[in-house]
Amino acid sequence: MSIILETENLTKRFRGLVATEGIGFTLAEGEVRAIIGPNGAGKTTFLSMISGHLAPTLGRVVYKGIDVTAKPVEARARLGILRKFQTPSVFENLTAAENIELAVLRTDCPWHDRAMEVAKTLATIRLTDQSDLPAKFLSHGQRQWLEIGLLLAARGNLLLLDEPAAGMTAEETAATEALVNRLAAEHRLSIIIIEHDIGFVRQLGARVTVLHLGHVLAEGTFEEIAANSQVRDVYLGY
Amino acid sequence: MKSNVPRLGSGVLGGETPIVTGLMVLLAGLPLVLSGYPIYILPQYMAFGIMAMSLGLLWGWVGILSFGQAAFFALGAYAMGLTMARTLPVNGAYLGLIAACVVGALVAAIAGYFLFKAGVRATYFVLATLALSIIVEQIAVSESELTGGWNGLYVDRMAVTVGSAIRIDLSSDAAAYYAVLPLMAALYLLLRWLQCGRFGKVLVGIRENEDRVKALGYDIALYKTAAFALSGAIAALAGAIYATHANFVSPSLGGVLFSTEVVVWVAIGGRSSLGGALIGGIAVASLSNFLSATSPEYWQLALGVIFVLVIIFFKDGLAGLVRRLGREMKRGTP
Repeated sequence: MSIILETENLTKRFRGLVATEGIGFTLAEGEVRAIIGPNGAGKTTFLSMISGHLAPTLGRVVYKGIDVTAKPVEARARLGILRKFQTPSVFENLTAAENIELAVLRTDCPWHDRAMEVAKTLATIRLTDQSDLPAKFLSHGQRQWLEIGLLLAARGNLLLLDEPAAGMTAEETAATEALVNRLAAEHRLSIIIIEHDIGFVRQLGARVTVLHLGHVLAEGTFEEIAANSQVRDVYLGY
Repeated sequence: MKSNVPRLGSGVLGGETPIVTGLMVLLAGLPLVLSGYPIYILPQYMAFGIMAMSLGLLWGWVGILSFGQAAFFALGAYAMGLTMARTLPVNGAYLGLIAACVVGALVAAIAGYFLFKAGVRATYFVLATLALSIIVEQIAVSESELTGGWNGLYVDRMAVTVGSAIRIDLSSDAAAYYAVLPLMAALYLLLRWLQCGRFGKVLVGIRENEDRVKALGYDIALYKTAAFALSGAIAALAGAIYATHANFVSPSLGGVLFSTEVVVWVAIGGRSSLGGALIGGIAVASLSNFLSATSPEYWQLALGVIFVLVIIFFKDGLAGLVRRLGREMKRGTP
C-alpha cells in the first residue's frame, strides 16, 4: 500500500513550550488511524500542522510525495487535505443541503450534477430528511456529520477529524464509527482521527498512535496499545 | 424511491422578487400619472438605488461594511464627465460608462487586494475605506485643473445612439427616466443572478463562517477582492449615471458624508436583501428630499430618528420586517 502522508521530525515550540517534538509519522492510503493521548499531548497541534493552520518550527509534511510544509490551508485543502474542527464548524444559517453545496462548488463537479452530488453526500451522512433544515436546528451529532459531509463533498483524500464523536450519544458514536469506516472502505479515504473516547477508538478497530508530551509514545493495534504498560501508565489508566 | 434531490438556495434568497417586480412596474408607470419635478429627480434616486445595491452586495453578502462607496461614486462621476468632455469618434457617454466601471473596479481591486491579503477585517477595513473616501474628495479638490476643484465639473446629458442611424437624446426628463429605469432593473437582475450562482454562494459562506470556507479550499482574499471590485464598479456606474443626469459633479460626491448616507439607506432597507438595499436607496433619498422641503430645519433629525428606530426594532431593516411579516402570515393560514 502506498503512503499518502508522511511527517518528518515535525516539531512545534511555542516560545519555550514544546507542543510536539520530532514526530515522524506515516499513513498509508486508505488507512484509518486514531491518535490518542492525554490533554496537552500535542494532538491538535500535530493535526494543525498537517492541515496548515499552524506552521511547524522544524520538520516537513509530505503529502502524496509533495512537500506541503509551506503551503497555506486553502492550497492543502485543494490538494485534498481537509479538516474537521474540534467544535463543529458548519454554516449555521444555511440548510444542510446548502452547506454541502458550498463544498461541492469548490470541486470541478459540473453544474448539472451538483444537486445529485449533494443528495448523495447527504445520504452518506444520513441527513437526507434534514436537507432543508438550517444547520443550527440540527442536533450536535448531526452537525458533526454535516461537517464530515463537507469534507467528503469537497473531495478530500485525507480527512483530519478532530474529536468527531465528542459529545455524542452511544448510538451517534456507533453511527460515526460506521461512517468513518465506510468512508475509508467505499470512498478510499485516508483518515486521521483525534479522539478522547477510548470506547470509540476500540470500536473503530483502527491502528492507534499514542502521543505523550509531544512525542510518539507507542503505535500499534488497539490491543497492542492497551497491553502496553507505558501507555497504561500515562493514559489509559487501567 | 422518493425524489431526494434537495432544494438549493432557499435559505439565502428571501422571496423578494414580487416586491421588486412591483416596484419596477410602479416606477415604469409613474410618468403616466406624474410629470415635472418627480420625473426629473427620480432617475437620480434610481442611481442612488444602484449605489445602495453596490453596498448591499458587499455588506449583505460578504458581511464587509464599506464607508468608502462615495469614493467610487465620485470616481465614476468624474470619469463620466471627463470622458464626455473629449471629442471622440464614438459616443463618449458609452465610453464614459465603461471608463467609470473600469476605474471603480480597478481602484477597489487594488485597495481590496492589499487589505484582504493582509487579513484586514471588520473595523479596520471600515477605517481604510473611510480614508479612501477622504482621499478621493481631496484629490477632486486639489486637482482643480482637471476636476474644476470646488467649482465642480459640468457634465452633458448623454444620448443613446445605435451606430449613426439612431440617436435618442436623453435631455427630456421622460427619456432620461426610461433610460435609467431599465438599466437599474438590468443591474438588479445581474446581481441577483450572481447572488444565486457560485460567486454569491461562496460570499455568503464567507459571511457565515470564513474559516470553514478557507478550510474547504477557497481563496478568501480573492473572493473578497472580487466582491469589492464588483461593488466599486457598480458604485462608479451609479456615479456616472448621476453625473450625466444631474449635469454636475463636485468633490462632495466623494465625501464621507455621502458614504455615511449610503450606509443609512442600506441599513434601513435591509442589508440581507438586494431588493431591500435598492428600495432603501430610492425611498430614503426620496424621503430626505420630501422632508427637507417640508421641514428644512428638522429633516435630518427626523431621518436620524428613523434610522435609530429601524436599527433598534428591525435589525435587518425593512427587508427583515417584510420577511418576518411573511412568516407570520404563513403561520396564520393553515
